[in-house]
Amino acid sequence: MLTGIDYVVVIVYLIGIMLLGFYFKKFVHSSKDFFLAGKTLPFWAIGMSIVVSDIGALDFVGISGQAYRYGLAVGNFDWIGSVPAMLLAAFIFVPIFWKAGLYTIPEYLGRRYNDAVRVVASVTWIIFFAFNLGIIFWASAVLLNALMGWPIWVSILLTAAIVGLYTIFGGLAAVVMTDVVQMVVMFGGGAILVIIGFEHVGGWDGLVEKVTARGPAYENHFDLILPVDTQTPFPWTGILFGLTFVMANAYMIGNQAIVQRCLAAKSEWHAKASMIWGAFLKMFIPVLVLFPGLMAIVLLPDLEDGDQALPMLIRTLLPPGLSGLMFAAFLAGLMSSIDSMLNSTATLWTKDLYERFIKKGASDQHYLTVGRLATVALLLFGVATSPVSSNFPGIYVAVQTFLSFFQGPVFSVLLLGMFWKRATPWGGLAGLVGGITVSALLYAFKGALFTIEDPFLYVSWWSFVAGFVLTITVSLFTKPHPDARLGGLVFRIGK
Amino acid sequence: MLNFDWLADVPIGAARWVFLVLFIVIGLVVLMIPNEYIYAGLERRRWWHNLKLWALGVLAFIFVTYYVF
Repeated sequence: MLTGIDYVVVIVYLIGIMLLGFYFKKFVHSSKDFFLAGKTLPFWAIGMSIVVSDIGALDFVGISGQAYRYGLAVGNFDWIGSVPAMLLAAFIFVPIFWKAGLYTIPEYLGRRYNDAVRVVASVTWIIFFAFNLGIIFWASAVLLNALMGWPIWVSILLTAAIVGLYTIFGGLAAVVMTDVVQMVVMFGGGAILVIIGFEHVGGWDGLVEKVTARGPAYENHFDLILPVDTQTPFPWTGILFGLTFVMANAYMIGNQAIVQRCLAAKSEWHAKASMIWGAFLKMFIPVLVLFPGLMAIVLLPDLEDGDQALPMLIRTLLPPGLSGLMFAAFLAGLMSSIDSMLNSTATLWTKDLYERFIKKGASDQHYLTVGRLATVALLLFGVATSPVSSNFPGIYVAVQTFLSFFQGPVFSVLLLGMFWKRATPWGGLAGLVGGITVSALLYAFKGALFTIEDPFLYVSWWSFVAGFVLTITVSLFTKPHPDARLGGLVFRIGK
Repeated sequence: MLNFDWLADVPIGAARWVFLVLFIVIGLVVLMIPNEYIYAGLERRRWWHNLKLWALGVLAFIFVTYYVF
């Protein structure tokens, strides 16, 4: 539980974040300022924002819990599951998106294919973000309650008020620049826990020796590459085909919350550099959130629930003051996820749906107001729906599964749209809808089709293949856009 | 088929080299990117603006990680 000095650390941190975020209000005069920070952001801020937005308070606990159960293989998601995809994004996709002056990824799909593809992609992301908001609010508040004894509604209303204030008034610039501070706090809190943990387990050699000495169940806990018949969800074939080739690329190239930051870079070079800088920082995430899970095997053996590893470790190892810093790191994870979802969803709604279909040709100030109102509406929706998730224990997994239906097909359509000028509007729509259908069918019959318990990596690969084949097949029988329309939307070597 | 059973007999050592070769191939592709493309959007060029060096550094880090573990 928190002591007096911990409360001082947390309160100073929260006030600092609120003031920093609100400071950026004075730079927001247009919709471009609100949604893309006026295209003024430097690479270092964008890279840090990408990393911290990608890891929430729940991931902190979840990843260390999985490391407790499965070992180092969980690190694949931040190493091979991020780095190659971020390099592909940096050198191919992001420069083309940036030069095209895009606000959203569905906007690219609309220009490259047609409005139907754009609407399917945009509505899917809006539904995912909107429902995820409430779930993350509630689950994070429950976590903070268990960890530090904070009342659930205090956590929800306090974080909603602070994040809402700077996101509504400061737009993307406030989101990204507060994320920079959140990342420093998160890395600082995580690093202190890891350093103290290593002292207790006898360094790296002591950790390896003591974990592997616990018996055959732990002999693969320090292996990144696991056999095809592993009982974990991470066989090397799933990591290679499902994660490296599909999910990582879909996430780093097709996720509005990630890519929107790069679109706000102050130059093409900064847009590229932000992704590579983000890839570098991302490689330290497993060290900060996965290693505590491995340490808990030694320091807190035989926990019934692996997700208890990190909270118990914090209580066991950290003195007053540092507990407050770790609590601030959890809050940083929560707030950086919420602000990203709010700003990205407001952008998707305003640019892809409202401006395109509901009210064309209005003044820029009108769209700025719509963006702010959308942020307010989403925040209220997230807070109002947060207690609902407590009545449906499986809703977190259900919402994540809903998104995973979409990852493989959307990447197949993005990939072919970028590299194959013959891909047609009907081909793109068939690939997207057909791929999502294949995902749903694979999940519906996963017990009969797959041998591992949670085959999400295999589902993403096969739904990608389905989307890819369908897009090509239908494109060969339908009419493509004329070359003139594809200028700047298709990658050409040497251009 | 759906479970990649046909790769079940591949030794873990060989599987590791599949990943390592992937990193090497990505590195070679990065090396082939023209400098004009790398520096696009910059008014003044410094040696540290060369994003190929950044990318190769990140790939070296991940190569060593997968070689060791």
